[in-house]
Amino acid sequence: MIRLTGVSKSFDRAVLTEVELYVPERCLFGMIGPGASGKSLILRAITGLLRPDRGQVTVGDQNVLAMGDLELNEFRKGIGMLFQNNALFDFMTVAENIAFPLRRLFDLSETEIAARVAERLARVDLPGFQDRLPAGLSGGQKKRIGVARATVTRAPIVLYDEPSAGLDPVTSQKIFDLLRAEQRASGSTVIMVSSDLDRLLTVTDRVGMMLEGRMIFEGSTDELENASDPRVHQFVHGALDGPL
Amino acid sequence: MTILNELHPRPNASTRSRVAAALGHFALDQLQQVTDLYRVFRLTLHYAARGAPNRQAYMCQMYEIGNRSLAFLAVVMGFIGMISVYQGGLQTQRVVPDLSLLGATFLQLLVRDLAASICALMLATRVGAGIAAEIGSMVVTEQVDALRMCATDPIDYLIRPRFLACLSIFGALTVIAAGVAFLTGMWTAYAFFGLNPRTFANVSLVSAGDLTIGLCKCLAYGAAIPVISGYCGLTAFGGSEGVGAATTRAVVSSSLAVIVLNFVISGAGYLVFG
Repeated sequence: MIRLTGVSKSFDRAVLTEVELYVPERCLFGMIGPGASGKSLILRAITGLLRPDRGQVTVGDQNVLAMGDLELNEFRKGIGMLFQNNALFDFMTVAENIAFPLRRLFDLSETEIAARVAERLARVDLPGFQDRLPAGLSGGQKKRIGVARATVTRAPIVLYDEPSAGLDPVTSQKIFDLLRAEQRASGSTVIMVSSDLDRLLTVTDRVGMMLEGRMIFEGSTDELENASDPRVHQFVHGALDGPL
Repeated sequence: MTILNELHPRPNASTRSRVAAALGHFALDQLQQVTDLYRVFRLTLHYAARGAPNRQAYMCQMYEIGNRSLAFLAVVMGFIGMISVYQGGLQTQRVVPDLSLLGATFLQLLVRDLAASICALMLATRVGAGIAAEIGSMVVTEQVDALRMCATDPIDYLIRPRFLACLSIFGALTVIAAGVAFLTGMWTAYAFFGLNPRTFANVSLVSAGDLTIGLCKCLAYGAAIPVISGYCGLTAFGGSEGVGAATTRAVVSSSLAVIVLNFVISGAGYLVFG
């Protein structure tokens, strides 16, 4: 369970304002909203990479904001994350990238690590890519390697930030199907931030919409389609006329 | 008087308070930066005390900082040696015709100050810029956040190997560079002033105090450059422009730190050893 209560953050201006969010266990939660509305910041607040000025972030029974550096390190063992720009370590091979969380977080033998890496690569449809460097991969391949790294630890919570950004429609759909299958297989709690609304809504259980740092909608996918808030309605249906 | 006031109006209260606020903001910002830099230094020492990092990363940094800087430092110090001895010889000849102590004085200057300080300034440009650019580009591409998500402190993973490598290789680089400067200085003294190389190679003025001061400078510079540059890289933000700014800050701050440390250690050295 992930819960955000009254979370606010300001830099030069307010970027998050009194955000309320509840994601039940084993839920695939989609987060939508226009650019710079604070979606990625929510993910960073959940992982402790961003310290809100006010509010509370609770994951399970743990208060994220009360954790020190050591506690955060321990806490992050239970979270996998795909970053918006993939954040693959460019000085490491694909295998080293995927194995990195295993080496840093767990005490596994090299044989076991190699087997887990090969299994993940097969799962994202890139078998035999172990020795390639990220610089030599296409955007879709990098994204899939990022997914493999985010899921290799079998963490109970996985966060995906724009998993289909910059990908063609076919590859995007493949990625979403893969993430949904991963979530069903592992039973993990997933938050997925995406601007690719059509595909996102085919896989999510619940959806939240952010606008100018506020969570203006939270509900099921069906409720989103029939939302009465004109801003949500305009965004979901892509209408040009409206308050946005 | 009235005309003067019209031409140069005196700042009113609100202008003064804005200036005071801006100065206060600047001072607080600088204080915060110094505090953050100290935290990075303290954590680097903490991680370094836990022992050597990943051997491969350490050796890789030794090669990057040491081997790849050697030719650059040798060339720079070679020219510094020639210029210093030539100018020193000319200046000395104006006062006394005897140049027999030129080599001994130059060697003392090299050991006590010049070799370590010039090497540090050169490393601040080559190595400091490289460290800041590398870490800064990792920050703006979220790789540092990915490290944190793997329970890895970037100070431990990125700065510690560079710190240990720079600390351990800087002394050796300085000795080699000083050797090159001394040899080119010896050649210059022979070629331009006819000074016998045996007379030039005079170590009588170099004391244990000079060696201690030189060693202290090597340790201080070797520690300061990677920590300051790493800190500048970690505080990069934005895109490529941010990385560029971090690189510039790293070179400027490292060079400034070298000059300030030189002043402090030299001052302390004169107080202790004379």
